[in-house]
Amino acid sequence: MKRNVVLVCRLALGAAFLYAAASKVPDMATFAQDLANFRLLPPALVSYAASIVVGVEVVAGLALVTGFGARAAALVAASMLVVFIGALSQALLRGIDLRCGCFSGQENATWGTVLRDVVMLLPALAVMSPAQDPNSRKHPRLGARAPEARARRAASGRSDLQRGSGTTKY
Amino acid sequence: MTSPPPLGGQPRYDGGVRILLHALSLCAAGAVLGLAGNRLTPRPAPLGVPVVAAAEAPGAMCQLPGGRVPPVPRLSVEEATPLCVACSALFVDARSAAEYQAGHISGAVHLPPGAPAEPVLWRLGVYKTVIVYDRNPSCALADEVAKMLLERGAQDVRVLTGAWPAWTAAGAPGSSGPCAVCGEHAPRGAP
Repeated sequence: MKRNVVLVCRLALGAAFLYAAASKVPDMATFAQDLANFRLLPPALVSYAASIVVGVEVVAGLALVTGFGARAAALVAASMLVVFIGALSQALLRGIDLRCGCFSGQENATWGTVLRDVVMLLPALAVMSPAQDPNSRKHPRLGARAPEARARRAASGRSDLQRGSGTTKY
Repeated sequence: MTSPPPLGGQPRYDGGVRILLHALSLCAAGAVLGLAGNRLTPRPAPLGVPVVAAAEAPGAMCQLPGGRVPPVPRLSVEEATPLCVACSALFVDARSAAEYQAGHISGAVHLPPGAPAEPVLWRLGVYKTVIVYDRNPSCALADEVAKMLLERGAQDVRVLTGAWPAWTAAGAPGSSGPCAVCGEHAPRGAP
């Protein structure tokens, strides 16, 4: 059940990122202008940032949909969402009235857009969860018990290389 | 034969570091893909060309001789239109009464330089933002009224870039007639 929920989160998040990228590709110049209106970046870097954002959305979306490097892609997606939330919030708090630039169209930046990004963070965090890592038996909670496991292995006289990685049950 | 690593010899959070490295790899791949693919899009982002915010674009600003800094912060038509539609800002028309009656921003009050400011002042507590405009891209009249409002206690006063011509050119909301709240009346025979 939990695996299915995480699978749905991964596919939905990946599809959302791919859709966001696909909606920007036909008019990258407008997306660059939307990005400039946030007044966060030096004007000389805006176009590069716009191109990179779309490229990273494509790569992260593909990784999430295919499951290849899904946890890393979820980390990228979550980081991007945090940046989006920060950028939108600062613009709203500064009273800058602008288009969101989230997807194509004329969607204005509102606190509803911020809330949507916060909601999208949840599936990203679910996919990032260590329990989804095939190596999580070896390193539960990001390796919190790894030294004890290594101590047991050292006591039994077998090295990591002899045991292989990620497949040994203990 | 490789000997087993000493206890604590490996990084404690190697799983996290591995994912972080994968994430950085994805970002690098995305950056290369985005920068290389940009030129293949129908309307590519202009790499190497500075992109400024719409409100700061040269065509959107009031043109001041000698590149002087505008005395009052500016607001573009693009930024001001939603505020007009949502009635979340007070628009002040600094042109003549005849020009105001012929056409003005919907909901704007008429306050030319030198006129009594009382019809506007009581509204300052209702609206957070006041946007002043006139007829001329130099924004001289609007600047004068905006400075007066700032001196009378208004906190957030802006001048509309491009003035009334830019507003009409953008097809933003407008109406005509006298300023009823200012105590003005239509001339006899006017509709």
